[in-house]
Amino acid sequence: MPRVSFEHITKTYGLMKVLDDLNLRIDDGDFLVLLGPSGCGKTTLLNLLAGLLDVTDGRIMIGERDVTDLDPKDRGLAMVFQSYALYPTKTVHGNLKFGLSASKLPRDEIEKRITWAAKLLQIEPLLHRKPGQLSGGQRQRVAIGRALVKNVGVFLFDEPLSNLDAKLRTEMRLEIKKLHDQLKSTIVYVTHDQIEAMTMATKIAVMNAGVIQQFGTPDEIYERPANLFVAGFIGSPAMNLRKAKLALANGKTEAIFASGVRLDVSDYPFVAPPQNGNEVIAGLRPEHFTLAATEGAAATFTVPVQYAERTGPDASAYFSFEDDLLALRVDPDIAARLTPGQSMGVSYLKGKTNLFDAHTGQRL
Amino acid sequence: MTFRWSRWSPQLALVPAGLVTLVAFIGAILWTIYLSLTRSRRLPEYEIDWSEWGRQYERLFKDDAWMISLQNLIVLGLGSALAIVFGFILAAMIDREKRGESLFRTVFLYPLAISLIVTGAAWRWMFNPELGVEHFIHSIGLTWVNASWLARPETAMYGVILASVWQSAGFYMALMLAGLKSINSEIWSAARLDGVGLFKLYTEIIIPMMKFTFVTCAILLSLGVIKAYDVIVAMTNGGPGQSTYVPAYFTIQALSAKGNLGFASAAAVLMLVITAAVFLPLVLLTAWQQRRSGATR
Amino acid sequence: MNDMTASHKALGAEIAVRSAPYFPRKKKVITGRSIAVIVFLSICALFFCVPLYVVIVTSFKTMDQIREGAMFALPNVWTLEAWDHAWNSACSGTRCEGLKVGFWNSVAILIPSLILSIGLSIVTGYALALWNVKWAGPFLFILFICAFVPFQIIMFPLISMTASLKVYGSIWGVAIIHAILAMPVLTLIFRNYYKDIPQEIMSAAVMDSGSFWKIFFEIILPMSGNILIVVLILQITSVWNDYLIGVTFGGMGGQPMTVNLANLITISTGTVRYNDNMAAALLTAIPPLVIYFFVGKLFVQGITAGAIKG
Repeated sequence: MPRVSFEHITKTYGLMKVLDDLNLRIDDGDFLVLLGPSGCGKTTLLNLLAGLLDVTDGRIMIGERDVTDLDPKDRGLAMVFQSYALYPTKTVHGNLKFGLSASKLPRDEIEKRITWAAKLLQIEPLLHRKPGQLSGGQRQRVAIGRALVKNVGVFLFDEPLSNLDAKLRTEMRLEIKKLHDQLKSTIVYVTHDQIEAMTMATKIAVMNAGVIQQFGTPDEIYERPANLFVAGFIGSPAMNLRKAKLALANGKTEAIFASGVRLDVSDYPFVAPPQNGNEVIAGLRPEHFTLAATEGAAATFTVPVQYAERTGPDASAYFSFEDDLLALRVDPDIAARLTPGQSMGVSYLKGKTNLFDAHTGQRL
Repeated sequence: MTFRWSRWSPQLALVPAGLVTLVAFIGAILWTIYLSLTRSRRLPEYEIDWSEWGRQYERLFKDDAWMISLQNLIVLGLGSALAIVFGFILAAMIDREKRGESLFRTVFLYPLAISLIVTGAAWRWMFNPELGVEHFIHSIGLTWVNASWLARPETAMYGVILASVWQSAGFYMALMLAGLKSINSEIWSAARLDGVGLFKLYTEIIIPMMKFTFVTCAILLSLGVIKAYDVIVAMTNGGPGQSTYVPAYFTIQALSAKGNLGFASAAAVLMLVITAAVFLPLVLLTAWQQRRSGATR
Repeated sequence: MNDMTASHKALGAEIAVRSAPYFPRKKKVITGRSIAVIVFLSICALFFCVPLYVVIVTSFKTMDQIREGAMFALPNVWTLEAWDHAWNSACSGTRCEGLKVGFWNSVAILIPSLILSIGLSIVTGYALALWNVKWAGPFLFILFICAFVPFQIIMFPLISMTASLKVYGSIWGVAIIHAILAMPVLTLIFRNYYKDIPQEIMSAAVMDSGSFWKIFFEIILPMSGNILIVVLILQITSVWNDYLIGVTFGGMGGQPMTVNLANLITISTGTVRYNDNMAAALLTAIPPLVIYFFVGKLFVQGITAGAIKG
């Protein structure tokens, strides 16, 4: 299975630069998710790889081949579209078969592949129906099937699950993941849904404003966001980001918030040695708080409850802290007992703090 | 960039249409404009005497038949505008009173399906001086009525107008009906609740809401009037005398009957100018419409 | 008008097809106003029907009865004599072989002109709407303008060109000119229709096959059923009903039926046989009327879509 690399990719529309000198390398068999808010350039990047758009400058490699100037059909990849893009006048069988029209395969090989894909995706009984007679989930399977029959090394997915309802989405998520494990193919998957990204990807590239903000495994991205954008974008409820000043005293490094709360960051793996008085932004994940004074916590302080919300198995509580809300992941039972205005003592776990430079927004 | 066949096939597919546009439209128009500056008579001459390049146009404006044609163009335009008014009234009635909608629509639209030559033939027969409608009216005692319009120069144009209205009213009705149907049905309920009178409702709310439809109809009508030719041939052949000449008819007469190429070309160029004068607002309107729909999207 | 989806896409038809949401009507008691409206509409309908009625009854009368002058009376004796005469022996110019000559000429013009005009404009519309072609915007704008150009301004050059191609004065000349003149409008209609095909379907097709023609024939053409029928009807009626192109380019040998009819009714020598004239008019009108009464809705769609043809 080939790797894919983007080298110094620039894309402009008229005077607008959508992508500027972008570099990205996707290894063999990786499941790469391009994640970002809408308009961040992730779909543009995917279309450039597919050949549906032309690069303004730069080079795209698939395996050892430079595909920058190749036609989409010659690039050896297959794509699944957001709206499935099934051919309405063709049957499911016809749709799958048209997927192979560029390859000059013998008829029995074509039939073999169609049967194989249909079996894999459990759409055999639907082969003679037209897309109009299929449900959303079935269409999705056919769209994937049309990509599968091509037997290529690289699959592209453009927000394929966004038109499905929540239940089907979870099912298809698993199914696509399973397919990837089975076929060991390279997948480039575009989405704005971080759950999809976190559950399916082996690598995530978080994009914003045409720039890759961070590229890494889902865990790296979640645990060690490279900058404020990634920190704020990944996680729900979002990471709490607060301004603080560093204070170095008595062999301890502390981040001191405006309200005077002190956060012990002595164990933080600073890249460059911290300076006294450095302005930083501290990122605190909601799930790393406890609702009680904990031994050896990085910080313990008392804050008034604003409100709590339960989402089935989970619950979040919001406290007011320095003119803003502080989000905490709490036990649903406890959330039910919280009353607005009530003051609670909270602790933040040691070793879980993220620190960013207040000026550049980069991780320290 | 390397050569890619896939990029060229769509471009190549446009070549025939591009050639047709370039040769049969743009080239032909320029050719005619050029001819209008020459002294060409039966056969084209390609020398332009720049000291009097406008001679064909001068001749044109000294030509009585051309002036009659222009006059008739305006008369026909104003008269045919009745088709829009008539079409709107029919559409409004059909839209409110749903009973028999499809029957009435079918009846009002059928003249549109037939050739203007047939329309002309039918009305020519209706206006027959000896055996036509006039004869019938006289026979029931109304001998003072004059209904053989086509026989008299003063009234022949009205006969043409009547036939045109008869032929096209259904078309404007269809456009108006579609425009009316696009109006949110809640407006009618709201007006009823507010107790707005029917006349007031139409003049103050419905018609202003259908501005765009009316403008479109007016432009389509103008273009149709400029092109009016078949109906003249079938009904009057320009006569009596030259009383029903219109520019389209005049131009073709100048070319085929008189064999005066330069002269006919000048008339054709003026037709193009008139068309452009009508067409320009349409282009602006379309652009405006697109921008508006783009803004709301 | 609920199923007028096809012409949604068509130029100039925007206003024609914003069909209203369908509200089931309650049964109403007939009010005085309703009666007045229906009476008015019926009178108008009568006005629209009178010429047709007169033409029909006249065509079945004998000349003797016509000379009595009772225009609206039914025929005393119903006779097909005039129809026979109009079809077989009516004179057009110096030839007295009836309208059947023109009829077959019209049919012969119709077929190649349909193939040429639709073939040319469907491919052009497809390329302009769905492929990334250079100058698509300016080209569309020029086509839009060409659709409005009066025929007279290009008439002489077209005569010269067809003459030098040796098709002037034949049914081929007429058919080719029809195809040329219809090209801008039909292209715009097809292009507007194809513009609404989802971009992703084209992207999928480009990735699957990439072939301009294969995508056209296998994906796009099968999706064009509606618009093809609408355009076909529009083109059949407008070619059939045309007079100007036929008379200009048909010469002696390629005159369509309308030209025969016009020659017949404008003849001013000898005794005019009005019953023949009316039968001839009906013969000319029957083909488009049949289309109209069978597929009226599609006809209206086409006519509104091609409205700019005027």
